[in-house]
Amino acid sequence: MSNSALSIEQSHSGMVRIVALKGRVDSTSANDVLVCLSNQISAGEKAILVDLGGLMYLTSAAFRVLLIATDEAERGAARLALCNVIGHVRELFEMGGLLDAFTIHGSREEALAQLS
Amino acid sequence: MLSREGGNIGSMPQPAAQSVEIVIRNELAELAKLSDGLERIGAELGVPGKPLMQLQVALDEIASNVINYGWSDGGNHEFCVRIRGQQGRIEVEIVDGGREFDPRQAPPSEPQPAGRRRPGGLGIHMVKQLVDRLDYERVGGRNRTVMTKRYVSDGRSSS
Repeated sequence: MSNSALSIEQSHSGMVRIVALKGRVDSTSANDVLVCLSNQISAGEKAILVDLGGLMYLTSAAFRVLLIATDEAERGAARLALCNVIGHVRELFEMGGLLDAFTIHGSREEALAQLS
Repeated sequence: MLSREGGNIGSMPQPAAQSVEIVIRNELAELAKLSDGLERIGAELGVPGKPLMQLQVALDEIASNVINYGWSDGGNHEFCVRIRGQQGRIEVEIVDGGREFDPRQAPPSEPQPAGRRRPGGLGIHMVKQLVDRLDYERVGGRNRTVMTKRYVSDGRSSS
């Protein structure tokens, strides 16, 4: 199904690892996100930025893995932040009462300025 | 008399009530069938994107809950989702023979202390926010969960 596609694009900007999520994060694809983020943390990345700007759809499964990864990052003395939490996606964060559970920056540029 | 001619039933393509019944197995990959069914009905009725997505998230939450927690025997099971749409309202009914679970009674998600951010009941908490009405009954050894979402048609056919 094309509408269940998730793509994860990874890049570096200076010392910051950027993980850009595009498409859908639901029960079937959430674990891919967790594996990706866990790998970064265990590889020793100290600043991870998850860019949600390309997300079309997410469920609580996405929140769960982001919460778990945030905890893992803290235990690894790393920082994990989100950016581009906008539109429908932002509304879902609000409904879940989750805006305060994460470090959220506006644009990718703002986030990189804070994390670098 | 003339003014009544256009009012004959069947002579005008009124957006009729739409409904579909989907039976899926207890595997997460099956959830896509529900999304497809809901999207099709949403498109036929011209439901705007926002309420349609909210209902889809809610359906994903309830159905994945059934798949993940409904049966503990590791076996193959099926359950049924009926989606009924009419102007201004979509109703989604999930009937499963899994473990008794009343989503209305699910504990609210509570703020977690730092370092322990794994929320319980988050998905169900979201469902309550996402739909206008959440009904539940246990009948004949089955859970029957019904979510109702109202929408204001934007007057255009939504793609």
